[in-house]
Amino acid sequence: MDLKLPNLGEGADSGTVVNLFVKEGDQIAKDQPVLELENEKAVATIPSTFAGTVSRIYIKPGDKLTVGQRILTLNEGAAQLSTPTSVSKPRQALRVVEAEPGPEKAPCETESTPAPEETPPSRPSRFPPPAAPSIRKLARDLGIDLTRVHGSERGGRIVLDDVRGYIQRLQRLAAQPRTAQAKPAPQAAKPPPEEIDFSKWGPVSKQPVSPLRAVIARRMSENWNVVPHVTQFEDADITGLMDMRKKYAGVYEENGARLTLTSFALKAVVNTLKQHPILNSSLDEASQEIVLKQYFHIGVAVNTEAGLIVPVIRDVDNKGLLDLSRELEDLARKARERKVSAEELKGGTFTISNQGGIGGAHFTPIVNKPEVAILGLGRGAMRPVVREGKIEPRLMLPMGLSYDHRVIDGGVAARFILDLAKAFGGFKEEDVKL
Amino acid sequence: MEPTKTDIVVLGGGPGGYAAAFYAADLGKRVILVEKDPRLGGVCLNRGCIPSKALLYAAHTMSAARESAHRGITFTEPAIDTTKLRAWKESILTRLSGGIAQLAKMRGVQVIQGRGYFEESRMLRAETPQGQQLLTYDQAIIAVGSKSAMPKAFDLGNPRIVTSREALEVEDVPESLLVIGGGYIGMELGTVYATLGSKVVLVEALDTILAGADPDLARPIAAYAKKAFKETRLKTKVAKMATSGRQIKVEFDLDGQKKEELYDRVLVAVGRAPNAENLGLENTRVSFDDRGFIHVNQKQQTTDPAIYAIGDIVGGVLLAHKAAKEARIAVEVIVGEDSAFVNVTIPAVVFTDPEVAWCGLTEAEARAKGIEVKVAKFPWAASGRALSFDRPDGLTKLIIEPDTERVLGVGIVGVGAGELISEGVLAVEMGATAKDLSLAVHPHPTLSETLMEAAEAFYGHATHTLVRKK
Ligand SMILES: Cc1cc2nc3c(=O)[nH]c(=O)nc-3n(C[C@H](O)[C@H](O)[C@H](O)COP(=O)(O)OP(=O)(O)OC[C@H]3O[C@@H](n4cnc5c(N)ncnc54)[C@H](O)[C@@H]3O)c2cc1C
Repeated sequence: MDLKLPNLGEGADSGTVVNLFVKEGDQIAKDQPVLELENEKAVATIPSTFAGTVSRIYIKPGDKLTVGQRILTLNEGAAQLSTPTSVSKPRQALRVVEAEPGPEKAPCETESTPAPEETPPSRPSRFPPPAAPSIRKLARDLGIDLTRVHGSERGGRIVLDDVRGYIQRLQRLAAQPRTAQAKPAPQAAKPPPEEIDFSKWGPVSKQPVSPLRAVIARRMSENWNVVPHVTQFEDADITGLMDMRKKYAGVYEENGARLTLTSFALKAVVNTLKQHPILNSSLDEASQEIVLKQYFHIGVAVNTEAGLIVPVIRDVDNKGLLDLSRELEDLARKARERKVSAEELKGGTFTISNQGGIGGAHFTPIVNKPEVAILGLGRGAMRPVVREGKIEPRLMLPMGLSYDHRVIDGGVAARFILDLAKAFGGFKEEDVKL
Repeated sequence: MEPTKTDIVVLGGGPGGYAAAFYAADLGKRVILVEKDPRLGGVCLNRGCIPSKALLYAAHTMSAARESAHRGITFTEPAIDTTKLRAWKESILTRLSGGIAQLAKMRGVQVIQGRGYFEESRMLRAETPQGQQLLTYDQAIIAVGSKSAMPKAFDLGNPRIVTSREALEVEDVPESLLVIGGGYIGMELGTVYATLGSKVVLVEALDTILAGADPDLARPIAAYAKKAFKETRLKTKVAKMATSGRQIKVEFDLDGQKKEELYDRVLVAVGRAPNAENLGLENTRVSFDDRGFIHVNQKQQTTDPAIYAIGDIVGGVLLAHKAAKEARIAVEVIVGEDSAFVNVTIPAVVFTDPEVAWCGLTEAEARAKGIEVKVAKFPWAASGRALSFDRPDGLTKLIIEPDTERVLGVGIVGVGAGELISEGVLAVEMGATAKDLSLAVHPHPTLSETLMEAAEAFYGHATHTLVRKK
């Protein structure tokens, strides 16, 4: 049985092997992780879809894998014949037709390209689609997945005409939305990047751009280019909040959780989002609708050695501070160990980026599309504040709320941030105590 | 010493190596082929496929003569001149390897006779009779093949204990011959010697000979062995061997019981071992498994970016046509094509009497994996062609996917099965259905009709056999 690279989701179709957990001869269980793949978004662990003994490994760290590529071969059940005899060899002649895990078995869903009049994945066969070797080679050259092509001949055999028809359909489909929505003409081809020899001016050292870094770069410029950004500043008074944190930190510790400012921020943000649902929305560019979400999944930016990762905490509104604190710690650890699954990076409705742990005051974060707003927190610092006519030292938290001005107007954002500041100041004992 | 620079170095001149060298040259690469033997062609040509088939043919004329008695044609007992037999066999090998050398020359492939040793990832040292030569290259393709496995316990240094390599030399025809191993090499060479007159005993540790073949396909071979060999012992292991005068004393382990016998000659055919030693692989980044088979991915790339490997040295099915296919893939990847060893049907042929051949999915494999298939069979007893040359001991079967009627595998036992299987390979590779096979007209009277009739049997209307409706 061959284990092949399943669909990775997120439209990603390849990745680089960073870690291999198994070696030949290993006995592995179903769902046991076999390798770590650095793909577009992060590092994902790829589990085995079968149990058995690893008889052969075809890949190594550093290899670039594409979806469907063979990773290893598993012998099911007990160890194979003992002697290294050619007697048992001809059996392997059958590596040929071994069943491929069908697309429906892939662990992550694909959010892939449009699927025009495709053969449904319910293809009854466990075998690769029937097609002549010449057609299979053509498909490989063109990067076409034949399981998506409808075969018109007896037994569903795919012939050249079927592949041609499939490509024409794809082409029609790719052209359609552009004309329908009268989108601007495709951007003029970018000029090639200028080559600069930096070592002219002094010694330099070079680093390759990791796949994660490349993705961060691509997404950041995409978000920056598409979203008209405005950033609204405000300071929240967290003197009371931090007193409470100090008071209860011990109790939380005993319950295996670290009570941090971010846990409070999650709560404060969700309470404020409920009052201003537009900040918990997305702009559906295809249908030109604003989608208001009735769930509150908050992304938390985590700084890792490799770069920025934003795992998402689900249903924050239904969770208490203790649960949130535990989950936060767990996710941050997973992010640093690069064990966050693709699933855990998806579906956020709003993002918090807390740089307080590092320091610095206000900053202007970039909105994480398709979300419409992001909150950047600096380090809380004692400031002289005028309260009821007197100057008092208070612990003030610098906040910067960047938002998508296509969806959110300035007034709404200002009201949101004021309510948010209020929420930070409004935590009560019963919210915190266990 | 100034190294010679070239595009591609191929190490090993067997069916993998020379196919790779030629193809790369045809695609415009500068190629150097390094082979330690004075003759090109590797194991297959010099001490494998070709000599074994030549000897099987020679033996076949003898058995055919014997079998013709009941047709009213008798011959006197044949006399065997092993010197002449050897010379005839040699002449074939000389001619073939000369042809390969000629083809290399015409393509401009430079052949260096010498043992190759990797100094580093991109440098090979060739130890030629004229001295050392250093080669640097962009890519190297390792195709050093395999040799007969010789378990330590059997390796007494006694020339009466031999492998296929010596057995193919036919120095003489021993009175008694013990063949250890019931795989295809043991069965083929056992057949040669039994026909030439040796009393052959064959032992096999498993409970069947030709373990990869479906039981119904192996049955006619077992029947042949019963008749031609003195004995076939399954589930039997050789525990020990010792020199005993001009004979070998062999101790068997028969399901726990011990037994001792004397033999004039013992042929060890228990598998093949990769030629991984003394290659200097430790100076490269190539990795291999604990038996010495080199790790490659489906593009035939090793763990060293400059080095590819193909053929027996990478394991899998150890057959010449697998090596040749891998050669094509390696070269295509090197020239930048997106080529890979995926969904390739590698047929297996055993040249016993009768022959067995299969490709694609076997019935046993389908059962083991719980794959639902339908099996359509056509017994050769109903083939006019098979009866016309007195060999109805054959069977043709198709392994069919029920919903799509697609042919997933083909298995054939019978005279000439090795030639017939290619239609099966084409059917499987093309994704043909049983209907396709049944609709294509096959010439009469030929054995190829059995493929068509098996397909017709699937639909319940083969002309020459009555299919009971289920
Ligand atoms: C008795 C027998 C019968 C067989 N019958 C069949 C059959 O009917 N059909 C079939 O398909 N297969 C058959 N095979 C298997 C077939 O011979 C092999 O699969 C095939 O030869 C493998 O090809 P290859 O190119 O990988 O290596 P090989 O043919 O083993 O060639 C490797 C070459 O590399 C050379 N070499 C090794 N090390 C070095 C070095 N360091 N420097 C330079 N040169 C080196 C060797 O001298 C050799 O010439 C048979 C094998 C045997 C033993």
